[in-house]
Amino acid sequence: MNAYLAYFAKRLVQFVVVVFIGVNLAFVITHASPIDPVEQSIAAVTSFGSTAPEAIAAMRSSLQELYGLKGTVAEQYVTFWSRVLRGDFGPSLSAFPTPVSSLIGRALPWTAGLLIVSTLITWVLGNLLGGLAGYYQRNRTLKLMGVVAMGVHPIPYYIVALMLLIIFGFLWPVLPITGGSAMNLQQGWNWPFVSSVARHSILPALSLILIGLGSWFLGMRSLVSNIVTEDYVVYAETAGLDSRRVLGSYVMRNALAPQVTGLAMSLGGIFNGAVITEKVFGYPGVGTLLVDAVYAGDYGLVLGVTTVSIIAVSVGVLVIDLLYPLIDPRVELR
Amino acid sequence: MSGAAEQAPVLQVRDLQAHFRTHYFGVNREVRAVDGVSFDVNRNEIYGLAGESSSGKTTLIKTIAGLLKPPLEMVGGSARFSFLPDWDAVGRAPPEVVRAIRWRHLSYIMQGSMNVLNPLRRIKHSFRDFAWRHLGGSKAEFDLRAAAHLERVKLDPSVLAAYPHELSGGMRQRVTIALATICKPEFIIADEPTTALDVVVQKDVLGMIRTIQQEMGSSVLFITHDMGVHAALTDRLGIMYAGRLVEDGETPEIFARPLHPYTRHLIGSLPRIGDTEQREGLEGTPPNLATPPPGCRFHPRCPLAMSVCTTTVPAMIETLSGHRVACHAVNPGMAA
Repeated sequence: MNAYLAYFAKRLVQFVVVVFIGVNLAFVITHASPIDPVEQSIAAVTSFGSTAPEAIAAMRSSLQELYGLKGTVAEQYVTFWSRVLRGDFGPSLSAFPTPVSSLIGRALPWTAGLLIVSTLITWVLGNLLGGLAGYYQRNRTLKLMGVVAMGVHPIPYYIVALMLLIIFGFLWPVLPITGGSAMNLQQGWNWPFVSSVARHSILPALSLILIGLGSWFLGMRSLVSNIVTEDYVVYAETAGLDSRRVLGSYVMRNALAPQVTGLAMSLGGIFNGAVITEKVFGYPGVGTLLVDAVYAGDYGLVLGVTTVSIIAVSVGVLVIDLLYPLIDPRVELR
Repeated sequence: MSGAAEQAPVLQVRDLQAHFRTHYFGVNREVRAVDGVSFDVNRNEIYGLAGESSSGKTTLIKTIAGLLKPPLEMVGGSARFSFLPDWDAVGRAPPEVVRAIRWRHLSYIMQGSMNVLNPLRRIKHSFRDFAWRHLGGSKAEFDLRAAAHLERVKLDPSVLAAYPHELSGGMRQRVTIALATICKPEFIIADEPTTALDVVVQKDVLGMIRTIQQEMGSSVLFITHDMGVHAALTDRLGIMYAGRLVEDGETPEIFARPLHPYTRHLIGSLPRIGDTEQREGLEGTPPNLATPPPGCRFHPRCPLAMSVCTTTVPAMIETLSGHRVACHAVNPGMAA
């Protein structure tokens, strides 16, 4: 147990260092941007007519405070960190004066809901089918699936997404093609809203699953077809173990460790949003938010989304690191 | 083992043939890896099988154990176990019958024993997977039984809670021996179980196999190319060359009076303390089994080869001492 605590502490330090470096990079990069949010805001306000220079000076001062751009770079850096720790990224430039944190808070459930569900479905389905295909190598249906996965896998994502839109939006218009839900509904845990969200998520989720399935399927199949020739699998088969037990506890279980790492990485990446998916399907998630913020030069919003995703990816990796000894006892704890 | 030998043999192998059959690009290829092997393994004895690499030892035991996978096929003959009297080979019995005898009556200690334990499963789970269905009882009872059995191979019961990577090579080997013997099977097939171990651990493990075999009265079919191990461990010994059994008999008898020229070379190659000269190797290499030489397969390398050896397959003849050999140069009774 002490070994585990030491391992835990080591990973925790790693986590803190990674987050620290990442957030610092976000600070440097946004400061290197040529867009000055304060001047942009002032320009937006003053373009409607003449304003007194004193008023502009006062406005500049308060805007600089709002954006955390007051004082020298060192002072800004301190302000920046105190705000990050409080989860406050100032107001959004493009949606002034809505705070960045509430914009992210509004977009995150959409992205997280869509991507967590579709990533999990993809992962479970891909690994299950891939594992079966690797174990029952003579099964025709599974062989055919391998061929299909090989064929679909290299198609660019946006083409699959657009094909789905054309098929289910125009040729056979049964599913909504844009948005996260119908506009006229009360958001909350009520049936009309939930079912509308579910219906709207079918196409984006389907596109993600179709494209994601292939790599898990092929990866798991090759992992499993290596594992079935391992001595311990041959021995278990030789001993007359039930083939379901061999498949479950000896083959799939042992192939799972690397796949779980992959899952953690892709779950962490969710907080970046799926930019293309959200753009193609007009989904109101973090990806759309991020791209719009970049176009609009919305300094605070870019910084906010970047910071949240840095922390999320690091947390994902940390959680997996901490769980990994349970998945694979051979991991060196010291 | 003369008392036990009066009973019917546990395993009777008769004219067993197993070939690799492939069919690529319209060309049929047949490699006769095991070609007409006959021998018995009696109750409560260790029968050794010796021969160089690619002599068909592993194919032979795979055939006996019913573990053939294409392209390897059992082509003819029989390998009948006393506990499976209705079928002339394990591989010909229906899968559920085979599953019921595996581990209960017939178990294995495999080549590369170091890696036969699932690295992600605790030892006690491996024991449950392999033996619980045969022994029954509650989980706690079974674990106690496994712990008691581990003590017989001088392992602490705490090993049950360990993962394989936490054990040393010798400990893992003892775990596999315990795993293979916990159901007290009548027949154990041991395929080069000590080849990967250093000689000190090897001695330990061989002694353990012997002790457990005597306690349980099981029969062991022990395969290794190491003649020193055969001399130390086995009761009877069969020598394989190019897919055929060329000689078998009681181990001391074979070491004292080897009849087949190949056996003589095998035994003559063992170094002895005080050797001043290098031992002579046998010229040539084992034949390609896709196109074996006609007649006696050993004749191209045999110092005693006669013209009959190139045309006629020598029959297995029994000499006076219950010692069998397949060689034209040996006459019945000449061994005595």
